[in-house]
Amino acid sequence: MTLRTLPWGSSGLGTQDHQSDMYVPAFRAHPGFTLVEATGPAAAGDLTAAIRETGAQVVSVCAPPGERADRIVEALRAGCHVLADKPMAPDVADARRVADAAAETGLVCMPAHHHRFGASVRSAASALAAGRIGLPWNVQADFLVDGGDPCPEGELVNFGLYPVDVVLALTGRAVRRVHALPGRDPRRSTVLLLDHDSGLTSTITVGRLPGTTAPLGSLALHRYRISGSGGVMDVDAARPAATVRSVVGTRAAWHGDGTVGRMLTALHTAIVSGRPPEAGPADAVAALRVTDAAARSLALGTPVPIDPPPHDSQEDNA
Amino acid sequence: MESLSATVRVLVVGTGFIAAQHAAAVHAEPRLELAGVVDIDPGRAAAASRANGGVPWYTDLDAALAETRADGAVVCTPNDTHAGIAERVAAAGAHLLIEKPLATDVPGARRAVEAFARAGRVLMPAHSHRHYDYALTVQDVIRSGELGDVDLVRLSILGGWIWPDWRGWMLDPSRSGGHALHNGVHLLDLVTWWTGDTPETVHARGRRQTAAELEIYDYLEMTVRFAGGAVAVCEMSRGHRPASYARRDVLVTGTGGMLALPWDAESGTVTDESGTALLPPAGTDGFATQMAAWADAVTGAPATVTGADGLLAVGMGVAAERSIATGLPVRVDDVLKEAA
Repeated sequence: MTLRTLPWGSSGLGTQDHQSDMYVPAFRAHPGFTLVEATGPAAAGDLTAAIRETGAQVVSVCAPPGERADRIVEALRAGCHVLADKPMAPDVADARRVADAAAETGLVCMPAHHHRFGASVRSAASALAAGRIGLPWNVQADFLVDGGDPCPEGELVNFGLYPVDVVLALTGRAVRRVHALPGRDPRRSTVLLLDHDSGLTSTITVGRLPGTTAPLGSLALHRYRISGSGGVMDVDAARPAATVRSVVGTRAAWHGDGTVGRMLTALHTAIVSGRPPEAGPADAVAALRVTDAAARSLALGTPVPIDPPPHDSQEDNA
Repeated sequence: MESLSATVRVLVVGTGFIAAQHAAAVHAEPRLELAGVVDIDPGRAAAASRANGGVPWYTDLDAALAETRADGAVVCTPNDTHAGIAERVAAAGAHLLIEKPLATDVPGARRAVEAFARAGRVLMPAHSHRHYDYALTVQDVIRSGELGDVDLVRLSILGGWIWPDWRGWMLDPSRSGGHALHNGVHLLDLVTWWTGDTPETVHARGRRQTAAELEIYDYLEMTVRFAGGAVAVCEMSRGHRPASYARRDVLVTGTGGMLALPWDAESGTVTDESGTALLPPAGTDGFATQMAAWADAVTGAPATVTGADGLLAVGMGVAAERSIATGLPVRVDDVLKEAA
């Protein structure tokens, strides 16, 4: 089943244009989706009209961060499933509003936390769940990007959601306390010390390196070491890939679909099967709560608690 | 200071597990000569004497210092004895290489430093990792300026259980000072040496991973914030599973680039019926390098590790233990001031 998909907006944080750079090429390459485009007056900025005109079933929302939550809710109310650029909303309250709309409409709303769909991350999540290393008690993670344009809002806001979401996806343990330590340039790097449920702890470095001879904007280091009661698992999220050296430099050649392509397959599967998506609004809320708490911790210089969500909240399943 | 041509006569004090490596390093260093061994247990002292060519053995440190007229001592006794022994060695006018930590608390470390300052003798805490190949490589790269200003250091030294006796003093915090002091000071000292910066706060998390009944934390994560803006995450573990696990991993990022020294960087791997493991690296003997550095200092060169370094490492270790207890970051300066 091919789903008619409408790209909406091309705004991100700073100079990012995830719509043009990531999502549109991935939708175009994916057999489960067909891109549609509004051509009439609706193209000028009326999302509901554009959905009506194109008959879109899915909307890829990259509206400016300040209005992103409104556009996602609008798309859901118009009967469309949504892929939402990250961050899905600028704050937790807006993310919860999106989650409520998705729950009411019964439609799929997937935050584009695409790194949790990486092949090595998914195989690690399966192995962890199957008990290969027993009960996990610690995760050490690094998410360091080499070069590219610094995010005006800081790399914690920009990149932080990705490794936090992966740690939550791997372990399934909600975060209860955050201590964030700023790097030399706080906008460029942050260290997150997280206390999770069931005594799990994790430590995540998030940052942007100054740019070396590596391909611009490539991930210099994206890895997770998980310690468990019965063993240890190392996850290099840059795998599986071949190393290619040539006269113009060295690059990694990713095997098979990248993380965005795998995310779209998961989106397609959730829509056509009716099964809950592998990532939903509750995951966006959970990750945002952590990065929000980290920002408060940076401001206060102390650890910040995160209260458990209300009992009936979807976050219990995050 | 002694002339370069004179042989420096050395006592090894305490003849437990680590003493044999120090004694071997003394034998390997041409400027040093083993003058005798000391242990409060006569059986252990006599056995150490036999293992070292029949050198004189003693059960009393003061008698050993007086009778052998040793120029220096290498101290390998339990941690809670360090400060007192250091003062006695200084009073005898001898130089000292002392196993880490310099003391189990800041007042003891300060007394030792002051005693050697008064005596005009060399005090070198055995922060042996500074003398290992990997640590020197990281130091050389940072000092070369290739990485710019250091932003982040990750240092992980992870392993399974190593202590052979559940009744050992190292498992008793009142004797060892706790694991942050017993093994943790290695990492705290290294990241401070590498960054060349002043540690401001330590936020530590500890686990009794091997058994809930342990009195020490056999997994430590100690996050240090430096005055210049760098952050270091230090992991020290004896609690990983399987118990054969052995891993060392270094990552340094700076304003100019990144250094990665992953666990499998030093040698090849072997896969056998028990799984895949790293072959033992054939590097330089860090204990011998350390002993040579001490001999350099005793014969007039600047000490590579000073008493002040040892005092600071103790302060950071105390801060780590306190942070684990409170769950909050602890200012190193506060710990050092309180004890002043």
